[in-house]
Amino acid sequence: MDTKTASPFGGRIIKLATRQKAFIAIIAMLVVMIFFDTKFYTVYNLLDLLKSASINEIFAFGVTLTIICGGCDLSIGGTMGLAGIVTVMLIDHMPIPFAIVCGLGLGAFIGFINGFFVVHQKTEPFIITLGMGMLLKGISQQLTDAHPISSKNPNFMMIGNGKAGVVPNLVIIMIIVMLIMYYILRYTQFGRNCYAIGGDYDVAVYSGINAVRIKWAAYVICGITAALGGILLSARLNSGSSNYGDTTALMVNCGVVVGGTSFAGGIGGIFQSAIGILVFSVLENCLNMLGIDAYIQQVFKGVVIVSIIWLDCFGRKRKREVV
Amino acid sequence: MENIDSEAILKMKDVTKTFPGVKALEKVSIEVKRGQVLGLVGENGAGKSTLMKILSGVYTKDSGTVIFDGETIENITPVESLHRGLSIIYQEFNLVNSMTVGENIYLGRFKEMRGMRGTHAKARELLDSIGSRIDTWSLVSELSVSEMQMVEIAKALSFNSKLIIMDEPSSSLTADELKKLFDIVHQLKKRGIAIIYISHKLDEIFDLCDIVTIMRDGHVIDTKPVGELTRNDMIAKMVGRSIENEYPERPRCAVHCPSDTLLEVRSLNTKKLHDISFTLKKGEILGFIGLVGAGRTEIVRAVFGADKVKGHDIRINGKHIKIKNPRDAKAAGVAFVPEDRKLQGLALSFSVKHNISMAALDRLTKYGFLNTSAEKGIAEKHIKALGIKTPHMNTTAVNLSGGNQQKCIVGRWLEINPNILILDEPTRGIDVGAKYEIYLLMKKVVENGGSIILISSELPEVLNMSNRVLTICEGRITGEFDPEEADANSIMEKAIGLSGEGKI
Amino acid sequence: MGLQINHRSVIKALFKDYLILVAIIALVFVTIIFEPKFLSSANLTNIMRQFGPLSMVSLGMTFVIIGGFIDLSVAGIMSLVAVITVSLIEPAGQFPALIAGLCIGAAAGYLNSAVILTCGALTSAEALFITFGMSTVYGALALIFSKGATQHMSWITSGTWVYDAIGQGSVGFLSVSFVVFLLCLFILYIFQQKTYLGRAVFLTGCNKTAAELSGVHVKRSIRLIYTISGIMTAAGSIMLFSRVTTASPVIGKNYETNAILAVVVGGTTLRGGEGSVLRTVLGVMLVTLLSNCMNMLGVSTFMQTVLKGAILIIAIWLDNRKES
Repeated sequence: MDTKTASPFGGRIIKLATRQKAFIAIIAMLVVMIFFDTKFYTVYNLLDLLKSASINEIFAFGVTLTIICGGCDLSIGGTMGLAGIVTVMLIDHMPIPFAIVCGLGLGAFIGFINGFFVVHQKTEPFIITLGMGMLLKGISQQLTDAHPISSKNPNFMMIGNGKAGVVPNLVIIMIIVMLIMYYILRYTQFGRNCYAIGGDYDVAVYSGINAVRIKWAAYVICGITAALGGILLSARLNSGSSNYGDTTALMVNCGVVVGGTSFAGGIGGIFQSAIGILVFSVLENCLNMLGIDAYIQQVFKGVVIVSIIWLDCFGRKRKREVV
Repeated sequence: MENIDSEAILKMKDVTKTFPGVKALEKVSIEVKRGQVLGLVGENGAGKSTLMKILSGVYTKDSGTVIFDGETIENITPVESLHRGLSIIYQEFNLVNSMTVGENIYLGRFKEMRGMRGTHAKARELLDSIGSRIDTWSLVSELSVSEMQMVEIAKALSFNSKLIIMDEPSSSLTADELKKLFDIVHQLKKRGIAIIYISHKLDEIFDLCDIVTIMRDGHVIDTKPVGELTRNDMIAKMVGRSIENEYPERPRCAVHCPSDTLLEVRSLNTKKLHDISFTLKKGEILGFIGLVGAGRTEIVRAVFGADKVKGHDIRINGKHIKIKNPRDAKAAGVAFVPEDRKLQGLALSFSVKHNISMAALDRLTKYGFLNTSAEKGIAEKHIKALGIKTPHMNTTAVNLSGGNQQKCIVGRWLEINPNILILDEPTRGIDVGAKYEIYLLMKKVVENGGSIILISSELPEVLNMSNRVLTICEGRITGEFDPEEADANSIMEKAIGLSGEGKI
Repeated sequence: MGLQINHRSVIKALFKDYLILVAIIALVFVTIIFEPKFLSSANLTNIMRQFGPLSMVSLGMTFVIIGGFIDLSVAGIMSLVAVITVSLIEPAGQFPALIAGLCIGAAAGYLNSAVILTCGALTSAEALFITFGMSTVYGALALIFSKGATQHMSWITSGTWVYDAIGQGSVGFLSVSFVVFLLCLFILYIFQQKTYLGRAVFLTGCNKTAAELSGVHVKRSIRLIYTISGIMTAAGSIMLFSRVTTASPVIGKNYETNAILAVVVGGTTLRGGEGSVLRTVLGVMLVTLLSNCMNMLGVSTFMQTVLKGAILIIAIWLDNRKES
């Protein structure tokens, strides 16, 4: 029989984990760090690692949804910046929750517009969301005159930097978002339909799935997560800036792909994307601990990206060439 | 609610559908009773697929009535027709490859089925009911064609379908799998489910169907119980003329001596092929007969250099030749017209001219530059010689009919004057008229001294056009026959091996 | 029949296929009305100078996209070429440094194609992230090589007249960089229309399998498109640092997105198999003119980015619409 999904949940997880190169890479790094005398294996550091990954993870969860539906969203850099700025601007004039809701609402609106172009107008998602990101950055610059702005509200900073016990708030929020998204993708009709739409759009439509509405909703959700990430970033740094998010879009999409979600659509999942993003955070943390120069770290990062994708492609090529 | 004939599950009366410039269906009337198998035959363009699409709701009819299960149907969507109990199993299947079998069966109905567990439990029940052991957790991409068909049938059953339409279900099945399909059809019949079976394989129609409807040019020509028709009757009605000869006179080479060897292949071994050795004589048509998946395409792809193969021996005209890629093959005079013209043969968004010139580009190149006026000449030459029906040589290839598209690809390869022309399913999906033209082409190639390797799943085609036939079974060459003398049954036996009876 | 041109259908065709040309003409027209200084020689020269870097990179990107792939390593290559070329001017001489820079671009591009070919990446998406990773590596190498410092051309004691010429010089009323651009455009256009490999690139982008089975040099085309992209990117980088007289290790930032946008706005689709360098020129023209016209009209810098983004989105949207 087949080896991939022969049995329900438990067996599948093990099979998936052993195949996911990102996972193996993380394990490898964890193993390597055992041999060095650093503060890597301290609760403080590990939590800090998770904290630094959490915002990108949140972006990744929304992006994963759009990629599974067969699209992609490269505007998240612009969305995060603008949402952060707007929220910071509003925080001095209204209770924090309202300001945050406004920021999230903005994200939803941006996602809605993305959805309009990609789903309704059938525009190529890569390029239109790229352009959207540029536009949003422009708006951010216009609003702030390209100067970072900050709020006077101390509680706002607490959200981004506080802890519940030992665990940073950001990590908690990340885990909550992750579980929600996982539930949506795996246990709701909406989520399963996302896989169907990405797997074969025409078949999904033929089966009566309202592909337009679902894909559009996926973009809205992605906008919301992008806004959430931006708000949390602004909360952590207590400032909103149009400079945030320049390389985020490509990096997050890259992390999702490295984790195993394919641009072709219909394949992948939340945990896989989480691991894909985590690879880079773990890498950065390990290299920092080892005192490696920042520029050389960048070389490592590039090599990891190329290696994992290369291995994935090569594996697929081998499968195809079984003659 | 009309209740005229409670036995008939489907009644179509005088259904007409016109597209701009084309009358696809003209006053078509069809009736299928519960538990009955209706065979629907006709050439490409006869209107079968338009009919199906109207039934399933993809198209809306212009006029006429459709009564399904006692209710008149108007303007239905595909989903509605599914829910009413009318399922269609398309040739290319309506499945999401990246999802599991269970989810595919209940695609879009996740909530109804109470999530993953419910979906897979119910799916398991359905598959068991048709005797299938497929794991509901397998991905569709991992299934064989026959297994995918089972999933589609299970899907139809999941909607409590009362009528299942099968479009060319047997084109990729082995004899065993076809038998299984027939068994299931009989089971469905017993359950009172009606089937419309669309197929080009007239033998299957005779074996499986109760009645047969013959269509031509958008009209229903006749509907008769299967026992009252002969094969020739059927073909005559399909084509509108009495076909004395579906095939031209068997090609015979006038140029070469019949025993001159052109190509020798020795010890071809791959994961699928075992020790393949054969020869191709000059001026002959060598037919490969075998079930789908036996390895016929793999053999020719290896000869053409399309697949990476190691350690085999190819000799052309006695000289050892190394063919590592299609370019080497081209240089050695080998040409290959692949199975799937849309995916592997044509650059669909390119013009007819560019498609024809594609294999000859290196010959049109001097110091790196293309001779575009010579290219035009080549295109003109082949459009004329092959009778390719196109408004202009710059028309985009996607706009041509299947037969004309195929001619473009054949023309492309004839341009390089190959010694060996490999044709893989050259007449698939092409109507009888265009088929005949391709047969004449093959005849001409051979009469001018070229050799052809012909792969086809239509046994009569191979038997009528080849000078010599090799049977291939499970990666091995199991027999060699002279199609004029040997009898079809012994050839078939060698082609299917010891694994049972049946037809291709 | 005769020679009567059906004007309505010409205009319809123009709008359909060359909407961008119409947009450019409209833009220029509006600007001239409000600010006739647009047509001054100073401004026109300025426009020509702006053309250089982005247009070179975009021309290179065009073939990659026509071939059905994408090249995100542009930023990294630009940075690497800039820092290495500038550092070689003194020890090796101006021309050798220039050649070296172009060779580095070619080598980096070739390396990209090698990575993509060896793993059998079939789709644009896989190539996308591979080149993204390569860009990270090239950019890192640039940072390491330059130790993060920006090199100033004025620090170079031996002559830099070649680069000054490229950056600021003129040939008649045309800037040197514009002349170089026209030359490259001419060569690449001939390549696209008249050569075997040019045709091979289009066929590869349309249907790789069919091309391979017809004996077309698919692998060679892929290597070529990335190498051309590498060389053109290097040329663009040289033009850029010559003009701004500094070589920063992050000089290439955002060039990949701008180049892709220019190509797509010009009308070449990301699907591959169709397009033209001429269309890319239109795309670059629109992007460049947008900045210039808006400057002329007194639009604030940030508002410009907003409008530019909005116009690009509309351009892409409308262009995509005509296809579906």
